[in-house]
Formats: sequence, C-alpha cells, structure tokens
Amino acid sequence: MKRMRRVLAIISLGLPLVLFVASVGKAEDTKKPVIGLVMKSLANEFFKDMQEGAVKHVEERGDLTLIPVGMHSETDIDTQINAVENFITKKVDAIVVAPADSRALVPPLARAIKAGIVVINIDVALDEAAKKQAGVSLAFVGPDNRAGAKMSGDELAKALGPGGKVVIIEGNPGADNAQQRKLGFDDSVKDGKLDLLDSRTAHWETEEANTVFSNMLTAHPDIQGVMAANDSMALGVIKAIDAAGKSGQIKVVGFDNIPAVQPLLKEGKLLATIDQFGSQMAANGIDYAMKALKGEKLEGWIKTPIKLVTAPGS
Amino acid sequence: MEPILELRGVVKRFPGVTALDAVDLEIAPGEIHALVGQNGAGKSALIKVLIGAYIADGGAMRFLGSPYHPRTPLDALVAGIRVVYQEFNQLPYLSVAENLLFERLPRRFGILLDRETLERRATELLNRVGLSIAPGTRVEHLGIAQRQLLEIAKALSTTGRLLVLDEPTATLTPREVARLFEIIRGVRASGVTVIYVSHHLQEIFELCDRVTVLRNGHRIETVAVAETSATELVRLMVGRRLEAAAHAIEVAASEAGSAAPPTLEPALRVEGLRVRGSSHGISFDLNYGEIAGLAGLVGAGRTEALRAIFGADRRDGGEIYLAGRRVAFNHPMDAVRHGVCLLTENRKDEGLVLPMPLRVNLTLTDLARVSRAGILRARTERATARHWVEQLDVRFRSLEQTARELSGGNQQKLIIAKWLFRNASVLMLDEPTRGIDVGAKAEIYTLLRRLAADGKALLVVSSELPELMVLCDRIMVLSRGRLVGELRRNEFDEERILSLAYSEYMTGKKNPDP
Amino acid sequence: MLNENRGIPDQVAVSEPQRPAHAVVQRVLREAGIGIALLMLIAIFSASAPHFTDESNITNILTQITINLIMATGMTFVILIGGIDLSVGSVMALSAMVAGLVLKAETLPVPVAIVAAALTSVAVGMVCGFINGFVASFWGVPSFIVTLGMLNIARGGALEVTNARTLFEFPNAFNDFGTATLLGMPAIFLVALGLVLLGWGVLTRTVFGRLIYAIGNNEEAVRLSGHDTFIFKVAAFVISGLTVGIGAIVYMARLTIASPILGTGFELNAIAAVIIGGTSLNGGRGSLIGTFLGACLIGVLADGLILIGVGDFVRQMITGGVIILAVILDSYRARIAERTR
Repeated sequence: MKRMRRVLAIISLGLPLVLFVASVGKAEDTKKPVIGLVMKSLANEFFKDMQEGAVKHVEERGDLTLIPVGMHSETDIDTQINAVENFITKKVDAIVVAPADSRALVPPLARAIKAGIVVINIDVALDEAAKKQAGVSLAFVGPDNRAGAKMSGDELAKALGPGGKVVIIEGNPGADNAQQRKLGFDDSVKDGKLDLLDSRTAHWETEEANTVFSNMLTAHPDIQGVMAANDSMALGVIKAIDAAGKSGQIKVVGFDNIPAVQPLLKEGKLLATIDQFGSQMAANGIDYAMKALKGEKLEGWIKTPIKLVTAPGS
Repeated sequence: MEPILELRGVVKRFPGVTALDAVDLEIAPGEIHALVGQNGAGKSALIKVLIGAYIADGGAMRFLGSPYHPRTPLDALVAGIRVVYQEFNQLPYLSVAENLLFERLPRRFGILLDRETLERRATELLNRVGLSIAPGTRVEHLGIAQRQLLEIAKALSTTGRLLVLDEPTATLTPREVARLFEIIRGVRASGVTVIYVSHHLQEIFELCDRVTVLRNGHRIETVAVAETSATELVRLMVGRRLEAAAHAIEVAASEAGSAAPPTLEPALRVEGLRVRGSSHGISFDLNYGEIAGLAGLVGAGRTEALRAIFGADRRDGGEIYLAGRRVAFNHPMDAVRHGVCLLTENRKDEGLVLPMPLRVNLTLTDLARVSRAGILRARTERATARHWVEQLDVRFRSLEQTARELSGGNQQKLIIAKWLFRNASVLMLDEPTRGIDVGAKAEIYTLLRRLAADGKALLVVSSELPELMVLCDRIMVLSRGRLVGELRRNEFDEERILSLAYSEYMTGKKNPDP
Repeated sequence: MLNENRGIPDQVAVSEPQRPAHAVVQRVLREAGIGIALLMLIAIFSASAPHFTDESNITNILTQITINLIMATGMTFVILIGGIDLSVGSVMALSAMVAGLVLKAETLPVPVAIVAAALTSVAVGMVCGFINGFVASFWGVPSFIVTLGMLNIARGGALEVTNARTLFEFPNAFNDFGTATLLGMPAIFLVALGLVLLGWGVLTRTVFGRLIYAIGNNEEAVRLSGHDTFIFKVAAFVISGLTVGIGAIVYMARLTIASPILGTGFELNAIAAVIIGGTSLNGGRGSLIGTFLGACLIGVLADGLILIGVGDFVRQMITGGVIILAVILDSYRARIAERTR
C-alpha cells in the first residue's frame, strides 16, 4: 500500500511537468510566430469566453501558434508571473497579457520586452508609474471601464432624474477594473445630480451582493436605483429586491452583459448593462501583436468597443 | 543541625478542598526523607508548592537557610531543587539525548548543534541510571519504564541540593528499582538531600531515613524509619479505616486458595500467539474461576500479548479459542462481543474518556442496552450506571461527575464496572493497581477475587511480584517474548519467578525486539 | 446534586472536588456565554441601528444566516470528532452545478426534476463527504489536508460540469421556494432550523451522537471499549456532505442561479460559526445550540454593522476580531475546566 501511494505521488507530481514540457516541444516545432496568452481566472465566464474566442480566432487566422495560460483564481498573481517568465525562457515572439495586478506584472513584462518579445496588454491597463519606473512603454488594447460604467450609470440617472437616491455595489477593492467602474459610477452620480446613499463591496459575488444589498435596503428603505459593478452582483441585488417585495420599484444597472441577466433584461428587472465584447478582446490583442511583429509601431491605449445593452425594445 | 528545607504552616486551598492545611515539615540535610499518604492526602500538592508549580496560600518556607517562595518551577530550579515528575515532561519527537540536555544543548560556533558532545554527555547520563539505549532514539519509541529512567537521568544531569522523586518506581521492575536505589544512595553520598514519594512501603524501609505521613492535607507524623513499622504507617495513613485496609490484603490472600475448581473447557485457550515482530509463539489456557498472572520484566512482551489477544494490535499468528470454540479477534469489537475485555496499563489514555461523565464511561461498552432503536433512554442509563458503580463501590459525588475527578482506585473500579456491565467473562488486566494507593489496592484485590469466585476468568499482568503472588492461583512467566514457565500457588517463590523472568536474557543473545 | 453525595469517607477519594460555584461559572461560560454576547449585540444594535428591529430586517437576517447555519450544522459533527472540513464551499458549488443540470433537464416534468435535483445535490455532497472521511480515517491523513484536496477537486469539478457557465432560468416552482415564507419566517430558514434541531437531537439523544462526542474526546478508549470508530468518523464527514447538498439547493432557490464559483470561502464562515459557538477545535466538546448562536452572532454582526454605516474594511476587521475573541473565551473555558480537575 505504501509503495503504491508513493508511486501515485510521483505520478501526480510528474505528470503536469511532462505535459508542460510536451506542450513546449510542440510549440517550438513550427516556423509560425508563437504568441503566449496570459489569462486571468478561467473560473470566470468572462475570461473563459475571452480565451475561447482567442483560440477560435487563431484557428481562423491559421498563421500563428497560441499558447494560452489561465489561472485558478482572480488573485493568483504568482501564476501569471511564472507564466511570463516561462514564455521568456521559451523565447515566444509575443505575449498578450490580461494582468491580474497592474503593478506586479510590470517587472517580468519589462524583462520580456528587453528580451525582444512584443508585449500587448489587454483587459486592464498596467500602471503608468510602474511602467515609467521600469522604463518601458507598451500598448494597451482594452475597453474603457470607466467610460463603460458611466454609460451604464447614466442610463440609471436618466431613468431616475436628478435627486434620485442610489447605491453602488463595488467589485473587489484593489482590482483595477473595480476601481475604474466605481469612478465611472461616481461620474454618473455627479453629472446626473443623483443622491448617493451608500457604496459597498460585494467582491463580485452574487450571494454577498444579495446579503449586502438587503442590509442597505433596510438602512435606506428609500433607495431608488442600484449600480452594480458586474452582472453577477446585479443578479443578487435583483433577488434581494424581489424578496423585499419591491420588484419594479428599484432600478438596477450592471456591467458585463452575461447570459444569466438576459431574462432579467427582458423582464425589465435590469435596466441596462455594458457589453465590452470580452470574447473578442484577446483576439484583438493577438491581431495587434501580429501587426507589431510585422513592424507596425503601437503605443498608448487602443480602445476596444463597448456597447450599452438595454431591454429589447426600450 | 539546621534543616535544609523548612515549611511552617503552609496552606494550599483549591475550590472546595484544602489540599494542605498548615503543614509543618523539616528536611534535614543529607537525609532521604519519605513522604507517604493515600491519594489525595496532599503529597502532590506539597511537592507542587515546593517546586513552584502551585503558589502557597499561606505559611512560610525556608530553603538553605533563607526564605524561599518559588513562583515558577524555574525559581525552584535556580534555587537548586531537582524534580522527577510523575507525569513525564518529555518531547516525544526529539531524541533521548536532546531531551536529556534540552536546556543546555552543546553548541559549535554558537549556533550549530554539537552532536558528538551531545551524544557523549547523554551516554554518560544514561549509563548513570543503567539505561542502555542509543542516545539518538526518539523518545516516542521508549517504553514507560525507560521514560521514567530517562526522567531520573535528566534530573541528575545538573547538580542540585535537593532531589524530589515523585513515585519513581511505579513503572519499574525490581531490578530497575534496585538500580535506582543505588543511584539515589550515590546521589545522597555526594551531598544531595532527597525527598522520596512512594506508595511502596517496603521501598521506604529499604531506602529512607525518616518518613512523614500526610492525611487529608494534614501532617500526621514524622518518624525515623527505624522506629516504625509498615503496619504502623498504614494505620497512620488510613486513620480510622485501618480495619478495611490492613486486613483486606490478608483476606484476599486467604480467599485465593479457595477459588472454584477449573472447569473442563478452558475459558480462553491461546495457541501459538505471535505478537508483531516476535518469533516466539505463546500458548496457554485460562480457566473460568481462576486468576492467572503473567510475570516478566518490562519489555518481556506481556502487554503486547494481552493487546494481541484482544485484537487491539495486529498479530503475526496464533489461534484463540473461547470456551472451546475458535474465534477470530481482529478488532477489539470482536473480543468485546465475545465477552473478552482488556483493562490497559494506561488507564487515563485508554481506559476512560476522562472529560466525560461517569455515566457515559460506564455505558460506553454496551450502549445498545440503554437505548432503543438507537435513541438513548436517559432514565434507564442513569439507573444502570448507578447500579454498577454502587455495585463496585466506586466513590462518587454525582453520576455527572467527570471520570477525571475520580481518584486512581475509583477510576480502576469504574473501568471494571463498565466491563462487568458488558457481561465480560474473561478479564485481562494490565497493571491493575499502578499508581493506586494502599487502601484502594486492597479493595481492588478483594474485588478481583470476588469476580473469580463468581466464575470469571482473569489474566493479570503486574510488575509487582508480591501483588501477583497475593492475587493469583498460578503465575506464568514471560521472558523476552517466550513463555518460560508456570508456577502453581504452592510453588510461588519470588526468587524462582525472577530467575525465570531473567532466563532468556542470560543466554547472551541480542534482544531481537526492543 | 448534593444529595447524591454518599459521604466521601475521610479518604479523600476525589482529589479536588469541583466547587459548585465554579461548575456554575463553567456552565454559564460554555452554554450561555455566546448567548449573552448575542443578546448584548442585539441590544446594542436595537438601540443604535435604525430599522434593526424592523420585521423586514429580521427576515433579512434569518435569510442571510440560513446557508451558513446549514453548513455549520454538518461542520459541527466533523469538528466534534476532531476533524475539519475545508471542502464545504467547493462541494456546495459542485452539488449545485450537478443539481442545476438536473433541474434544467427538459425531459423531466417540473415536480420530478425538482425532487431529482434535490436528491442529486444531497447525493453529490454525501459522496464527497464519504471520500473525505474515508481517506482521512483509512490512511490516517489529517482531514485538513484531505479536505483541502477535495476543495480543489470539487471546485474544478464544478467548473468542468458546465465549462464554467452559470446556470439560470430554473423552474418558477423551484425559485418560489427561495422567497416563500411560512409562519412569518423564510421557508429556507425553517429548513435550516429543522436541520439544527434534528442534529441536536442526534447528538444529545442517540447512541450515534454519544459516540461522536466520545470519539472526539478519546478515540482509543472508545475503540478499546469495542466500537468501530472508523464508521463514525466517516459518518461525520458524510453528514457534513449531506448538509452541504441541502445548502446547495437552498442557495439555488434563494438566488435562482447556480454558478461554479459560488460558495467560495463559505467553509471559513461555517468553521467560524462552530468555533464561536464554543465547540472545541480539538473535538469532543461543544453543541449545536452553540453553533446556532454562533451563526446568529455572525449574521447579526454583519447586518447591524451595515445598518449603522460601518465601512467595508472596518466591518471585516471587526468580524475578524470577534472570531479571535471567541477563541480567547474558549481558551479560558479550557483553563477553568483544567483548574476544576
């Protein structure tokens, strides 16, 4: 029994390594440019879609090899750094990265640039100060989260009119897109002359949003509108409104346009959300990486499209 | 001569009880002073006050001529008092050497452990107490007796002025006890004063100069050993319960011979039992109505044999027959189902669930009898528990009292009670009176004789030969895993048993298993 | 109780008898300490937090503690035998995803689908619990490690089942259960309450419960008393899995979705409720009443702090502080028990 366990242990340790090496070998067989894609948590549908979109796009293009790497959780920064360093070792031609942390990823990416690798930043922009410190400049291909949040928030402001009493449900404190979206919502509050009663985090999660919003509603029974930094949290908020028997009396806007909110949009329980075409974002990044490899000079923020989604027919 | 240690009116109170009630004590320099008394008489409390584990509530102490008021065991250590505790304070995952010299591990370059010096010094200390084990052995692999000797070696590793020994012989074989006495006399000769706490009166007469008797937190008497007798000490210790205690042993002895004659079919027949790692098979019969003893030195394989029969440990081979029918005991569950039970030497860790009430401990062996369809019947359970603890004369305050609160003797009676409740017909007892005071020992003996008279079969392991000789109808002797002899009651002779016990060690063979 | 004293003879058999006053203090600390803390908290919030005593807020609190209460009930069994189950949050996600697929199976009539989904959820939870318990007990692996492994296995499984998609649009009859009320209380809370009462009965009134406590206190003594402790240790984990399966169904009904990332960190909340409720991490000591009060305390604290407008970060700090306070209280209790030996 003991020996068997030991054998199992060796296999379980060794297998991923073998697979990894095998995948590297495969990548280097070809003459086509090799692009490494560093993704965020694939447990998140948004990034899952993004990766699948990228893989499909690469198949259609057929003129490059893609090595995608995902993470287990939103905050698994180490895995990303390791992935970047592996890509440097493997001498890939370009890296497309959706950074989990806008500062921690800068030094390894700077090393990649110095090793002659083209780096394209997608999804969340790397920190300007950190880039300056590392002495690199690189292109960011991604949506304007702040502008998107403002579009969503403005829709709420339009529906409520000046003086409307609203609350914000924030994403993970510390996450860049959460901060950008919060700023966008704040812009809407200011421009729309709304009355912001409270703003709290629910860590992107449905259940926590449900709990937190229930309590906000108790503290402020006169809430008229909610801005949720993603649709998962908007889902939780809408359930809390239903449970409180205030369906239709409180308007909700979200962000991300996930499948689960489509029925709610139809029913009018969700006023608006933002589609940032996540499934195309990595594909876009890959296209830009290919352009850069062909000698095109890319710099600054290449904004990807975002679209306000409202109830069909409204 | 001025006493080395002087206590005046020392008081220690606990919730609901005064453990020490104005105790005066004078220890003369260079003497071996015995402290005796039943469990709960205040011996442990006195020692703990002395070594700073408890802080006295009143009174004064002087040590080496100056006031002495230790607040922590470290104070006592600094003052020059060394203690061998009854409970071991050892680090089981460290080596013997590291345990011995833990406070001042030899170093090299200030930070590295100097293994060579460590092992050399440890070996010296081990030799001093006659413990022949490799200093690199991890303490968890040692037996109880070896741990006891290790504890003594540790106390001797630094020179103190006063050495306190709390029940040092409870787990030792006679040979080891003799060795220990030599060591103690040697320590005394080097100018150290000794306080010796023990239940074994003959040890006190053999070793000590003076003896102080404690009872119920009072000092009853301090006398020179030469001027008193065992009977006198027992009388002082038990007070007015003299009758019961002093005569019980004799009664037990007289009853022993009158046991029921063995039935035709033995209660338990063991054939070729091989405990793990042993190459010898053990075979013997145990009859209903008798008490058989299993004698042998520490490490002879007595405990291992009992545990293997019970199914508590795996065995390499052998067959067990119960009343003529072959049985397979692979788990204690099987043995218990067939009415075979084991009372282990380690009462507190294996015999009882200490933090749980008496009631729970008693019914644990047969919960089906106090439940219906898996649901406990509280009233039945209470009545059953009360019946059995009263039957065995367990002294208790309440059925909801935890087992931990009972004295050693009453804990043992509770364990016997829980097996009788389970209808056990074969009782295997490993060191049934270890750490139990004289009065309670006598009660246990009487109880065991009564059980044999009721037709139960009893197999007793004990390191105290006199105990086996008083209690048993016959004694089987194990030496190094081999059953080397059997003596009937009329053949009992301490010397003969001992020579049998040593027989396998005389042949010069290396010990196959530790 | 004193009339049971049959006169301890002058031989002081009981070395240091427990003083009744101490026993009372100990009992109060063990049984009522957490209750008193909860009452104090409620009193403070009633006075300082607007709307705290509103009926709708009380309903909110009951709804919000429901899932934690369900998980903590199973966790109490595991902690009582001296184990720990870190996998409950992930297993809950796996249960929910599998059950969600059953619920959406179009071939089944709605009532059948609902029953089948509930049974599936519970079965998945129990299987995971069985694996946890079996591996931990058979190979003697610390349950901390085994359930940490299961945490990852179940989370990966939950993501794999639908390839990380969230399931939604469950039958209305199912979703309605999440917001239904009975006797003025949320129906899902009554499910939790029922589980707590059932578990309490099992722990205090049955042979099974007796052995759970005894094993937690001294497994070897129980084994040598002729019991197969293995079965009971595995059973404790299976019970944890059972409550997780029920928790998953309740979650889905309440939020009308099943996401593969649901339940992240729920294990820590459940453990916190059990420990705040006075159950010892060493096993053998504690009660489901304590767990119930512990879950209430966490829920009331979270709710009340939002109502009085405490910021997110300070709120998190206060919650952490309360857990530490509870453990300190527990160590005092242990010390008092030690002293009254």
